[in-house]
Amino acid sequence: MTFVQGLLAGANELRHKAHLFKIRKPFIYEGLKFLFFSFILVFIAVQGINGLDYRWQWYRMPDYFYKISDSGFIAGPLFTGLGLTLLISAISLILSNLIGFITALFRLSDSVTAVAVSRIYLEVVRNTPLLIQLFLVYFVISPILGIGRMVSAIMALSLFEGAYTSEIIRSGIISIEKGQWEAAHSIGLTGVQTYRRIILPQAFGQVMPMLASQSISLVKDSALISTIAIYELTMQGQVAISKSFLTFEVWFSVAAIYLIINICLSMIIRIFEQNKKRQKNA
Amino acid sequence: MHNKTLGETIIAVDSVSKTFDRNVKALQGVSLKVKQKEVVVIIGPSGSGKSTLLRCLNGLEETDSGAIVIDDTPLNEHHRNKLKIRTEVGMVFQNFNLFPHMTVRENIRTGPRFVRKASLEEADRTTEDLLARVGLTDKIESYPRQLSGGQQQRVAIARALAMNPLIMLFDEPTSALDPEMVGEVLEVMKNLAIEGMTMVVVTHEIGFAREVGDRIIFMDEGKIVEENSVENFFANPEKERTKLFLSKILENGGCE
Repeated sequence: MTFVQGLLAGANELRHKAHLFKIRKPFIYEGLKFLFFSFILVFIAVQGINGLDYRWQWYRMPDYFYKISDSGFIAGPLFTGLGLTLLISAISLILSNLIGFITALFRLSDSVTAVAVSRIYLEVVRNTPLLIQLFLVYFVISPILGIGRMVSAIMALSLFEGAYTSEIIRSGIISIEKGQWEAAHSIGLTGVQTYRRIILPQAFGQVMPMLASQSISLVKDSALISTIAIYELTMQGQVAISKSFLTFEVWFSVAAIYLIINICLSMIIRIFEQNKKRQKNA
Repeated sequence: MHNKTLGETIIAVDSVSKTFDRNVKALQGVSLKVKQKEVVVIIGPSGSGKSTLLRCLNGLEETDSGAIVIDDTPLNEHHRNKLKIRTEVGMVFQNFNLFPHMTVRENIRTGPRFVRKASLEEADRTTEDLLARVGLTDKIESYPRQLSGGQQQRVAIARALAMNPLIMLFDEPTSALDPEMVGEVLEVMKNLAIEGMTMVVVTHEIGFAREVGDRIIFMDEGKIVEENSVENFFANPEKERTKLFLSKILENGGCE
Protein backbone atom coordinates (compact mmCIF):
# COMPACT_ATOMS: atom_id res chain seq x y z
CA MET A 1 0.00 0.00 0.00
CA THR A 2 1.47 3.27 -1.03
CA PHE A 3 1.42 6.35 1.17
CA VAL A 4 -1.28 8.04 -0.89
CA GLN A 5 -3.48 4.96 -0.82
CA GLY A 6 -3.06 4.77 2.92
CA LEU A 7 -4.00 8.40 3.28
CA LEU A 8 -7.10 7.92 1.16
CA ALA A 9 -8.10 4.85 3.11
CA GLY A 10 -7.64 6.75 6.34
CA ALA A 11 -9.72 9.64 5.06
CA ASN A 12 -12.41 7.23 3.97
CA GLU A 13 -12.51 5.62 7.38
CA LEU A 14 -12.70 9.03 9.00
CA ARG A 15 -15.60 9.88 6.77
CA HIS A 16 -17.50 6.79 7.85
CA LYS A 17 -16.77 7.41 11.49
CA ALA A 18 -17.61 11.11 11.26
CA HIS A 19 -21.05 10.57 12.71
CA LEU A 20 -19.50 9.01 15.82
CA PHE A 21 -17.89 12.32 16.67
CA LYS A 22 -21.08 14.14 15.79
CA ILE A 23 -19.15 16.21 13.32
CA ARG A 24 -20.66 16.79 9.96
CA LYS A 25 -18.58 15.55 7.05
CA PRO A 26 -18.26 18.91 5.32
CA PHE A 27 -16.92 20.33 8.54
CA ILE A 28 -13.90 18.02 8.48
CA TYR A 29 -13.23 18.66 4.81
CA GLU A 30 -13.57 22.41 5.22
CA GLY A 31 -11.33 22.31 8.27
CA LEU A 32 -8.62 20.43 6.40
CA LYS A 33 -8.86 22.78 3.44
CA PHE A 34 -8.66 25.76 5.73
CA LEU A 35 -5.57 24.43 7.52
CA PHE A 36 -3.90 23.58 4.22
CA PHE A 37 -4.38 27.03 2.73
CA SER A 38 -3.46 28.82 5.94
CA PHE A 39 -0.26 26.82 6.05
CA ILE A 40 0.62 27.83 2.49
CA LEU A 41 -0.15 31.51 3.17
CA VAL A 42 1.87 31.60 6.38
CA PHE A 43 4.75 29.83 4.63
CA ILE A 44 4.79 32.40 1.81
CA ALA A 45 4.53 35.29 4.26
CA VAL A 46 7.40 33.99 6.42
CA GLN A 47 9.57 33.41 3.35
CA GLY A 48 8.81 36.92 2.12
CA ILE A 49 9.55 38.54 5.45
CA ASN A 50 12.83 36.67 5.83
CA GLY A 51 13.78 37.68 2.31
CA LEU A 52 13.21 41.35 3.19
CA ASP A 53 15.89 41.40 5.81
CA TYR A 54 13.74 43.81 7.83
CA ARG A 55 14.17 44.44 11.52
CA TRP A 56 10.73 44.29 13.07
CA GLN A 57 10.14 46.60 16.01
CA TRP A 58 6.53 45.97 16.90
CA TYR A 59 7.27 46.91 20.52
CA ARG A 60 7.51 50.56 19.46
CA MET A 61 4.07 50.60 17.91
CA PRO A 62 1.86 51.13 20.99
CA ASP A 63 3.31 54.63 21.39
CA TYR A 64 1.67 55.61 18.15
CA PHE A 65 -1.72 54.58 19.45
CA TYR A 66 -1.67 55.94 22.97
CA LYS A 67 0.52 56.93 25.90
CA ILE A 68 -0.21 56.71 29.58
CA SER A 69 1.48 59.54 31.40
CA ASP A 70 0.99 61.26 34.76
CA SER A 71 -1.87 63.26 33.34
CA GLY A 72 -3.58 60.06 32.17
CA PHE A 73 -4.46 58.75 28.73
CA ILE A 74 -2.93 60.59 25.80
CA ALA A 75 -4.16 59.67 22.34
CA GLY A 76 -1.37 58.85 19.90
CA PRO A 77 -1.32 60.06 16.29
CA LEU A 78 -2.93 56.94 14.86
CA PHE A 79 -5.69 57.20 17.43
CA THR A 80 -6.49 60.83 16.61
CA GLY A 81 -6.18 59.98 12.90
CA LEU A 82 -8.76 57.23 13.39
CA GLY A 83 -11.06 59.71 15.09
CA LEU A 84 -10.80 62.17 12.21
CA THR A 85 -11.34 59.40 9.63
CA LEU A 86 -14.48 58.32 11.46
CA LEU A 87 -15.73 61.89 11.75
CA ILE A 88 -15.14 62.73 8.09
CA SER A 89 -16.61 59.41 6.97
CA ALA A 90 -19.71 59.89 9.09
CA ILE A 91 -20.37 63.42 7.80
CA SER A 92 -19.65 62.38 4.21
CA LEU A 93 -21.91 59.36 4.58
CA ILE A 94 -24.85 61.53 5.57
CA LEU A 95 -24.13 64.11 2.86
CA SER A 96 -23.50 61.53 0.14
CA ASN A 97 -26.80 59.82 0.90
CA LEU A 98 -28.55 63.17 0.78
CA ILE A 99 -26.89 64.09 -2.52
CA GLY A 100 -27.56 60.62 -3.87
CA PHE A 101 -31.20 60.79 -2.91
CA ILE A 102 -31.76 64.21 -4.46
CA THR A 103 -29.85 63.24 -7.62
CA ALA A 104 -31.91 60.06 -7.98
CA LEU A 105 -35.14 62.05 -7.70
CA PHE A 106 -33.81 64.57 -10.23
CA ARG A 107 -32.98 61.81 -12.69
CA LEU A 108 -36.40 60.25 -12.34
CA SER A 109 -38.27 63.55 -12.54
CA ASP A 110 -40.16 64.86 -15.56
CA SER A 111 -38.09 68.06 -15.68
CA VAL A 112 -35.63 68.09 -18.56
CA THR A 113 -33.33 70.49 -16.68
CA ALA A 114 -33.23 68.34 -13.57
CA VAL A 115 -32.48 65.23 -15.60
CA ALA A 116 -29.73 67.04 -17.53
CA VAL A 117 -28.12 68.43 -14.37
CA SER A 118 -28.10 65.04 -12.70
CA ARG A 119 -26.80 63.27 -15.80
CA ILE A 120 -23.90 65.72 -16.21
CA TYR A 121 -23.01 65.43 -12.52
CA LEU A 122 -23.10 61.63 -12.65
CA GLU A 123 -21.06 61.33 -15.83
CA VAL A 124 -18.37 63.76 -14.69
CA VAL A 125 -18.01 62.29 -11.22
CA ARG A 126 -18.12 58.65 -12.20
CA ASN A 127 -15.72 58.97 -15.11
CA THR A 128 -12.91 60.90 -13.46
CA PRO A 129 -10.59 59.77 -10.64
CA LEU A 130 -11.45 60.80 -7.10
CA LEU A 131 -7.90 62.09 -6.62
CA ILE A 132 -8.32 64.58 -9.47
CA GLN A 133 -11.73 65.64 -8.17
CA LEU A 134 -10.20 66.19 -4.76
CA PHE A 135 -7.46 68.42 -6.17
CA LEU A 136 -9.98 70.27 -8.28
CA VAL A 137 -12.18 71.00 -5.28
CA TYR A 138 -9.25 71.90 -3.04
CA PHE A 139 -7.11 73.98 -5.41
CA VAL A 140 -9.73 75.48 -7.75
CA ILE A 141 -13.10 75.57 -6.08
CA SER A 142 -12.16 76.12 -2.44
CA PRO A 143 -10.42 79.50 -3.05
CA ILE A 144 -13.47 80.66 -5.00
CA LEU A 145 -15.90 79.64 -2.29
CA GLY A 146 -13.48 80.49 0.49
CA ILE A 147 -13.83 77.11 2.15
CA GLY A 148 -11.22 75.34 4.20
CA ARG A 149 -9.35 72.13 3.74
CA MET A 150 -11.71 70.01 5.83
CA VAL A 151 -14.80 71.28 4.06
CA SER A 152 -13.12 70.69 0.69
CA ALA A 153 -12.29 67.14 1.64
CA ILE A 154 -15.81 66.39 2.87
CA MET A 155 -17.31 68.08 -0.17
CA ALA A 156 -15.20 66.11 -2.66
CA LEU A 157 -15.80 62.84 -0.87
CA SER A 158 -19.56 63.41 -0.56
CA LEU A 159 -19.92 64.42 -4.20
CA PHE A 160 -17.95 61.39 -5.33
CA GLU A 161 -19.77 58.81 -3.22
CA GLY A 162 -23.10 60.58 -3.79
CA ALA A 163 -22.94 59.76 -7.50
CA TYR A 164 -22.74 56.05 -6.76
CA THR A 165 -25.32 56.28 -3.99
CA SER A 166 -27.73 57.97 -6.38
CA GLU A 167 -27.44 55.12 -8.86
CA ILE A 168 -28.15 52.64 -6.06
CA ILE A 169 -31.19 54.58 -4.85
CA ARG A 170 -32.43 55.03 -8.40
CA SER A 171 -32.15 51.30 -9.05
CA GLY A 172 -34.17 50.71 -5.88
CA ILE A 173 -36.90 53.12 -6.95
CA ILE A 174 -37.24 51.74 -10.48
CA SER A 175 -37.32 48.18 -9.15
CA ILE A 176 -40.68 48.92 -7.54
CA GLU A 177 -43.35 47.64 -9.88
CA LYS A 178 -45.76 49.92 -11.68
CA GLY A 179 -48.73 48.44 -9.83
CA GLN A 180 -47.53 50.00 -6.58
CA TRP A 181 -47.59 53.49 -8.11
CA GLU A 182 -51.00 52.84 -9.62
CA ALA A 183 -52.45 51.53 -6.37
CA ALA A 184 -51.09 54.55 -4.51
CA HIS A 185 -52.50 56.95 -7.11
CA SER A 186 -55.83 55.13 -7.16
CA ILE A 187 -56.44 55.84 -3.48
CA GLY A 188 -55.65 59.49 -4.08
CA LEU A 189 -52.14 59.82 -2.68
CA THR A 190 -50.21 62.75 -4.17
CA GLY A 191 -46.83 62.29 -5.84
CA VAL A 192 -44.93 63.22 -2.68
CA GLN A 193 -47.09 61.01 -0.48
CA THR A 194 -46.65 58.11 -2.89
CA TYR A 195 -42.88 58.45 -2.71
CA ARG A 196 -42.82 58.86 1.04
CA ARG A 197 -45.33 56.20 2.10
CA ILE A 198 -45.20 53.61 -0.64
CA ILE A 199 -42.18 53.76 -2.93
CA LEU A 200 -39.22 54.84 -0.81
CA PRO A 201 -39.80 52.49 2.15
CA GLN A 202 -39.80 49.58 -0.28
CA ALA A 203 -36.93 50.92 -2.39
CA PHE A 204 -34.64 51.53 0.59
CA GLY A 205 -35.48 48.11 1.99
CA GLN A 206 -34.26 46.59 -1.25
CA VAL A 207 -31.03 48.54 -1.68
CA MET A 208 -29.93 48.62 1.98
CA PRO A 209 -27.17 46.02 1.41
CA MET A 210 -25.81 47.98 -1.56
CA LEU A 211 -25.91 51.28 0.34
CA ALA A 212 -24.08 49.58 3.18
CA SER A 213 -21.27 48.33 0.97
CA GLN A 214 -21.08 51.81 -0.49
CA SER A 215 -20.45 53.13 3.02
CA ILE A 216 -17.51 50.73 3.30
CA SER A 217 -16.12 52.10 0.03
CA LEU A 218 -16.47 55.57 1.47
CA VAL A 219 -14.34 54.74 4.51
CA LYS A 220 -11.66 53.28 2.26
CA ASP A 221 -11.78 56.16 -0.23
CA SER A 222 -11.38 58.64 2.62
CA ALA A 223 -7.70 57.59 2.72
CA LEU A 224 -7.19 59.73 -0.39
CA ILE A 225 -7.87 62.99 1.44
CA SER A 226 -4.49 62.56 3.09
CA THR A 227 -3.16 64.03 -0.16
CA ILE A 228 -4.48 67.47 0.76
CA ALA A 229 -2.84 67.25 4.18
CA ILE A 230 -5.82 66.28 6.26
CA TYR A 231 -4.41 64.51 9.27
CA GLU A 232 -6.66 61.49 9.17
CA LEU A 233 -5.59 57.89 9.65
CA THR A 234 -3.54 57.45 6.47
CA MET A 235 -1.82 60.83 6.81
CA GLN A 236 -0.95 60.13 10.43
CA GLY A 237 0.48 56.81 9.29
CA GLN A 238 2.70 58.54 6.74
CA VAL A 239 3.88 61.04 9.34
CA ALA A 240 4.61 58.27 11.81
CA ILE A 241 6.69 56.45 9.20
CA SER A 242 8.70 59.50 8.27
CA LYS A 243 9.56 60.01 11.93
CA SER A 244 10.22 56.42 12.93
CA PHE A 245 10.99 54.47 9.76
CA LEU A 246 8.66 51.74 11.05
CA THR A 247 7.29 51.39 7.51
CA PHE A 248 5.79 47.94 7.69
CA GLU A 249 4.60 48.09 11.28
CA VAL A 250 2.73 51.34 10.68
CA TRP A 251 1.20 50.35 7.35
CA PHE A 252 0.11 47.00 8.74
CA SER A 253 -1.43 48.77 11.74
CA VAL A 254 -3.22 51.30 9.56
CA ALA A 255 -4.52 48.55 7.29
CA ALA A 256 -5.69 46.59 10.33
CA ILE A 257 -7.59 49.61 11.64
CA TYR A 258 -9.39 50.08 8.32
CA LEU A 259 -10.11 46.37 8.32
CA ILE A 260 -11.59 46.53 11.81
CA ILE A 261 -13.77 49.58 11.01
CA ASN A 262 -15.16 47.91 7.92
CA ILE A 263 -15.68 44.52 9.52
CA CYS A 264 -17.59 46.28 12.30
CA LEU A 265 -19.66 48.05 9.64
CA SER A 266 -20.38 44.77 7.87
CA MET A 267 -21.40 43.18 11.14
CA ILE A 268 -23.78 46.00 12.01
CA ILE A 269 -25.27 45.67 8.54
CA ARG A 270 -25.66 41.90 8.90
CA ILE A 271 -27.37 42.23 12.27
CA PHE A 272 -29.66 44.83 10.77
CA GLU A 273 -30.48 42.54 7.83
CA GLN A 274 -31.15 39.56 10.06
CA ASN A 275 -33.47 41.60 12.24
CA LYS A 276 -35.35 42.66 9.16
CA LYS A 277 -35.59 39.07 7.94
CA ARG A 278 -36.82 37.94 11.33
CA GLN A 279 -39.44 40.69 11.38
CA LYS A 280 -40.55 39.63 7.93
CA ASN A 281 -40.95 36.00 8.90
CA ALA A 282 -42.66 36.75 12.17
CA MET B 1 -80.91 43.07 -8.78
CA HIS B 2 -82.72 44.49 -11.72
CA ASN B 3 -85.50 46.35 -10.00
CA LYS B 4 -83.37 48.94 -8.21
CA THR B 5 -83.83 52.56 -9.23
CA LEU B 6 -80.79 54.11 -10.83
CA GLY B 7 -79.77 57.67 -10.04
CA GLU B 8 -78.28 60.52 -12.05
CA THR B 9 -75.45 60.06 -14.54
CA ILE B 10 -72.22 59.90 -12.54
CA ILE B 11 -69.73 58.86 -15.23
CA ALA B 12 -69.83 60.53 -18.63
CA VAL B 13 -67.30 59.50 -21.26
CA ASP B 14 -67.50 61.39 -24.52
CA SER B 15 -65.67 60.13 -27.64
CA VAL B 16 -62.44 59.28 -25.89
CA SER B 17 -59.48 58.14 -27.98
CA LYS B 18 -56.12 56.88 -26.88
CA THR B 19 -53.13 55.72 -28.89
CA PHE B 20 -50.19 54.03 -27.24
CA ASP B 21 -46.63 54.20 -28.48
CA ARG B 22 -45.99 52.23 -31.63
CA ASN B 23 -49.35 53.41 -32.96
CA VAL B 24 -51.45 50.89 -31.07
CA LYS B 25 -54.94 52.32 -31.04
CA ALA B 26 -56.30 51.37 -27.63
CA LEU B 27 -59.47 53.42 -27.69
CA GLN B 28 -61.22 54.91 -30.71
CA GLY B 29 -63.99 57.34 -29.96
CA VAL B 30 -65.52 55.59 -26.99
CA SER B 31 -68.61 57.15 -25.39
CA LEU B 32 -70.34 55.83 -22.32
CA LYS B 33 -72.65 56.96 -19.56
CA VAL B 34 -73.02 55.27 -16.20
CA LYS B 35 -75.74 56.14 -13.69
CA GLN B 36 -75.54 56.08 -9.92
CA LYS B 37 -76.00 52.57 -8.48
CA GLU B 38 -75.57 51.03 -11.89
CA VAL B 39 -73.35 47.96 -12.38
CA VAL B 40 -71.79 48.01 -15.83
CA VAL B 41 -69.82 44.99 -16.94
CA ILE B 42 -67.31 45.39 -19.75
CA ILE B 43 -66.32 42.28 -21.62
CA GLY B 44 -64.32 41.65 -24.74
CA PRO B 45 -61.26 39.82 -26.07
CA SER B 46 -57.84 40.75 -24.72
CA GLY B 47 -56.44 43.87 -26.32
CA SER B 48 -59.91 45.24 -26.96
CA GLY B 49 -59.22 48.33 -24.83
CA LYS B 50 -61.53 47.48 -21.93
CA SER B 51 -58.82 47.80 -19.27
CA THR B 52 -57.53 50.97 -20.87
CA LEU B 53 -61.01 52.50 -20.76
CA LEU B 54 -61.30 51.60 -17.07
CA ARG B 55 -57.89 53.08 -16.30
CA CYS B 56 -58.80 56.29 -18.08
CA LEU B 57 -61.73 56.75 -15.71
CA ASN B 58 -59.47 57.57 -12.74
CA GLY B 59 -56.66 59.12 -14.73
CA LEU B 60 -54.17 56.26 -14.53
CA GLU B 61 -54.01 56.59 -18.31
CA GLU B 62 -54.09 59.92 -20.09
CA THR B 63 -56.51 60.26 -22.96
CA ASP B 64 -55.49 61.78 -26.29
CA SER B 65 -58.86 63.33 -27.03
CA GLY B 66 -62.43 63.35 -25.79
CA ALA B 67 -63.80 64.20 -22.37
CA ILE B 68 -64.42 62.34 -19.14
CA VAL B 69 -66.59 63.82 -16.40
CA ILE B 70 -66.92 62.05 -13.07
CA ASP B 71 -69.56 63.35 -10.63
CA ASP B 72 -69.56 66.74 -12.38
CA THR B 73 -65.79 67.07 -12.14
CA PRO B 74 -64.03 67.04 -15.51
CA LEU B 75 -60.92 64.86 -15.62
CA ASN B 76 -58.52 67.23 -17.29
CA GLU B 77 -55.06 68.71 -17.01
CA HIS B 78 -55.92 70.23 -13.64
CA HIS B 79 -54.09 68.13 -11.12
CA ARG B 80 -56.52 69.09 -8.41
CA ASN B 81 -59.42 67.60 -10.36
CA LYS B 82 -57.55 64.37 -10.91
CA LEU B 83 -56.81 64.03 -7.20
CA LYS B 84 -60.41 64.79 -6.31
CA ILE B 85 -61.70 62.19 -8.77
CA ARG B 86 -59.30 59.61 -7.40
CA THR B 87 -60.67 60.09 -3.91
CA GLU B 88 -64.18 59.42 -5.27
CA VAL B 89 -63.28 56.47 -7.49
CA GLY B 90 -61.91 53.28 -5.96
CA MET B 91 -60.00 50.79 -8.06
CA VAL B 92 -59.29 47.09 -7.70
CA PHE B 93 -56.51 45.60 -9.81
CA GLN B 94 -55.95 42.23 -11.36
CA ASN B 95 -52.78 41.68 -9.34
CA PHE B 96 -54.14 43.18 -6.11
CA ASN B 97 -51.18 45.60 -5.79
CA LEU B 98 -51.30 45.63 -2.01
CA PHE B 99 -48.42 47.47 -0.36
CA PRO B 100 -46.11 44.62 0.68
CA HIS B 101 -44.27 46.59 3.38
CA MET B 102 -47.49 47.32 5.26
CA THR B 103 -49.81 45.16 7.30
CA VAL B 104 -53.40 44.72 6.22
CA ARG B 105 -54.39 47.42 8.70
CA GLU B 106 -51.83 49.89 7.34
CA ASN B 107 -52.78 49.10 3.76
CA ILE B 108 -56.39 49.97 4.39
CA ARG B 109 -55.93 53.01 6.60
CA THR B 110 -53.31 54.73 4.41
CA GLY B 111 -55.97 56.38 2.23
CA PRO B 112 -58.18 57.67 5.05
CA ARG B 113 -55.20 58.89 7.06
CA PHE B 114 -53.14 60.66 4.44
CA VAL B 115 -55.71 61.63 1.84
CA ARG B 116 -58.83 62.15 3.95
CA LYS B 117 -56.69 63.37 6.89
CA ALA B 118 -58.70 61.26 9.31
CA SER B 119 -57.43 60.72 12.84
CA LEU B 120 -55.70 57.44 13.60
CA GLU B 121 -58.62 56.21 15.71
CA GLU B 122 -61.10 57.11 13.00
CA ALA B 123 -59.01 55.45 10.29
CA ASP B 124 -58.61 52.34 12.43
CA ARG B 125 -62.34 52.16 13.03
CA THR B 126 -63.00 52.37 9.28
CA THR B 127 -60.39 49.65 8.73
CA GLU B 128 -61.94 47.30 11.27
CA ASP B 129 -65.46 47.84 9.90
CA LEU B 130 -64.33 47.14 6.35
CA LEU B 131 -62.35 44.05 7.27
CA ALA B 132 -65.42 42.68 9.01
CA ARG B 133 -67.37 43.35 5.83
CA VAL B 134 -64.95 41.37 3.66
CA GLY B 135 -64.66 38.70 6.35
CA LEU B 136 -60.99 39.12 7.25
CA THR B 137 -61.07 40.57 10.75
CA ASP B 138 -58.52 38.03 12.01
CA LYS B 139 -55.98 39.06 9.34
CA ILE B 140 -55.70 42.68 10.42
CA GLU B 141 -52.06 42.44 11.54
CA SER B 142 -50.98 40.10 8.71
CA TYR B 143 -48.74 41.09 5.85
CA PRO B 144 -50.05 40.62 2.28
CA ARG B 145 -47.57 37.81 1.56
CA GLN B 146 -49.13 35.77 4.36
CA LEU B 147 -52.54 35.84 2.67
CA SER B 148 -53.98 33.78 -0.17
CA GLY B 149 -54.79 35.47 -3.47
CA GLY B 150 -58.47 35.64 -2.65
CA GLN B 151 -57.79 37.17 0.74
CA GLN B 152 -55.41 39.70 -0.79
CA GLN B 153 -58.00 40.76 -3.31
CA ARG B 154 -60.60 41.18 -0.55
CA VAL B 155 -58.13 43.38 1.35
CA ALA B 156 -57.58 45.36 -1.86
CA ILE B 157 -61.33 45.89 -2.13
CA ALA B 158 -61.42 47.03 1.50
CA ARG B 159 -58.52 49.41 0.82
CA ALA B 160 -60.43 50.99 -2.06
CA LEU B 161 -63.64 51.18 -0.01
CA ALA B 162 -61.79 52.88 2.86
CA MET B 163 -61.86 56.08 0.85
CA ASN B 164 -65.65 55.85 0.89
CA PRO B 165 -65.82 56.13 -2.92
CA LEU B 166 -68.86 56.90 -5.04
CA ILE B 167 -67.71 54.56 -7.78
CA MET B 168 -65.73 51.31 -7.79
CA LEU B 169 -63.70 50.15 -10.78
CA PHE B 170 -62.71 46.49 -11.05
CA ASP B 171 -60.00 45.54 -13.54
CA GLU B 172 -60.27 41.78 -14.03
CA PRO B 173 -60.36 41.24 -10.26
CA THR B 174 -60.51 37.44 -10.42
CA SER B 175 -58.21 36.73 -13.38
CA ALA B 176 -55.10 36.18 -11.27
CA LEU B 177 -56.85 33.95 -8.75
CA ASP B 178 -56.89 30.20 -8.34
CA PRO B 179 -60.34 28.94 -9.32
CA GLU B 180 -61.37 28.02 -5.79
CA MET B 181 -60.81 31.62 -4.64
CA VAL B 182 -62.85 33.34 -7.31
CA GLY B 183 -66.09 32.79 -5.42
CA GLU B 184 -65.13 34.63 -2.24
CA VAL B 185 -64.12 37.74 -4.20
CA LEU B 186 -67.23 37.71 -6.38
CA GLU B 187 -69.32 37.34 -3.23
CA VAL B 188 -67.87 40.56 -1.80
CA MET B 189 -68.48 42.34 -5.11
CA LYS B 190 -72.04 41.08 -5.25
CA ASN B 191 -72.75 42.43 -1.77
CA LEU B 192 -71.33 45.78 -2.83
CA ALA B 193 -73.69 45.86 -5.80
CA ILE B 194 -76.64 45.01 -3.57
CA GLU B 195 -75.71 47.89 -1.28
CA GLY B 196 -76.06 50.18 -4.28
CA MET B 197 -72.45 50.91 -5.19
CA THR B 198 -71.88 52.24 -8.70
CA MET B 199 -69.57 49.73 -10.32
CA VAL B 200 -67.71 49.33 -13.60
CA VAL B 201 -66.31 45.82 -13.88
CA VAL B 202 -63.98 44.43 -16.50
CA THR B 203 -64.27 40.67 -16.22
CA HIS B 204 -64.49 37.34 -17.96
CA GLU B 205 -66.87 36.00 -15.31
CA ILE B 206 -70.03 35.60 -17.35
CA GLY B 207 -71.91 34.20 -14.38
CA PHE B 208 -71.18 37.33 -12.37
CA ALA B 209 -72.17 39.56 -15.29
CA ARG B 210 -75.48 37.75 -15.62
CA GLU B 211 -76.29 37.82 -11.96
CA VAL B 212 -75.10 41.26 -10.88
CA GLY B 213 -74.78 43.37 -14.01
CA ASP B 214 -77.37 45.93 -15.07
CA ARG B 215 -75.80 46.50 -18.44
CA ILE B 216 -73.13 44.83 -20.53
CA ILE B 217 -70.71 46.56 -22.81
CA PHE B 218 -68.88 44.48 -25.38
CA MET B 219 -65.67 46.00 -26.70
CA ASP B 220 -63.40 45.01 -29.53
CA GLU B 221 -60.45 46.81 -31.18
CA GLY B 222 -60.84 49.89 -29.03
CA LYS B 223 -64.52 50.42 -29.80
CA ILE B 224 -67.76 49.65 -28.07
CA VAL B 225 -69.34 47.07 -30.34
CA GLU B 226 -72.50 46.44 -28.42
CA GLU B 227 -74.17 47.95 -25.40
CA ASN B 228 -77.15 46.03 -24.12
CA SER B 229 -79.16 44.98 -21.09
CA VAL B 230 -77.97 41.77 -19.51
CA GLU B 231 -80.99 39.77 -20.64
CA ASN B 232 -80.77 40.85 -24.27
CA PHE B 233 -77.02 40.63 -24.45
CA PHE B 234 -76.99 36.91 -23.79
CA ALA B 235 -80.38 35.96 -25.21
CA ASN B 236 -80.37 37.89 -28.51
CA PRO B 237 -77.19 39.85 -29.14
CA GLU B 238 -77.51 42.42 -31.91
CA LYS B 239 -74.11 42.23 -33.56
CA GLU B 240 -72.44 39.34 -35.35
CA ARG B 241 -69.15 40.06 -33.57
CA THR B 242 -70.88 39.67 -30.22
CA LYS B 243 -72.44 36.35 -31.23
CA LEU B 244 -69.05 35.04 -32.32
CA PHE B 245 -67.43 36.08 -29.04
CA LEU B 246 -70.25 34.66 -26.95
CA SER B 247 -70.22 31.33 -28.78
CA LYS B 248 -66.49 31.10 -28.10
CA ILE B 249 -66.57 31.89 -24.40
CA LEU B 250 -69.68 29.86 -23.68
CA GLU B 251 -67.99 26.85 -25.30
CA ASN B 252 -65.17 27.18 -22.84
CA GLY B 253 -67.44 27.19 -19.85
CA GLY B 254 -67.59 30.89 -19.17
CA CYS B 255 -63.91 31.72 -19.40
CA GLU B 256 -62.25 33.13 -22.44
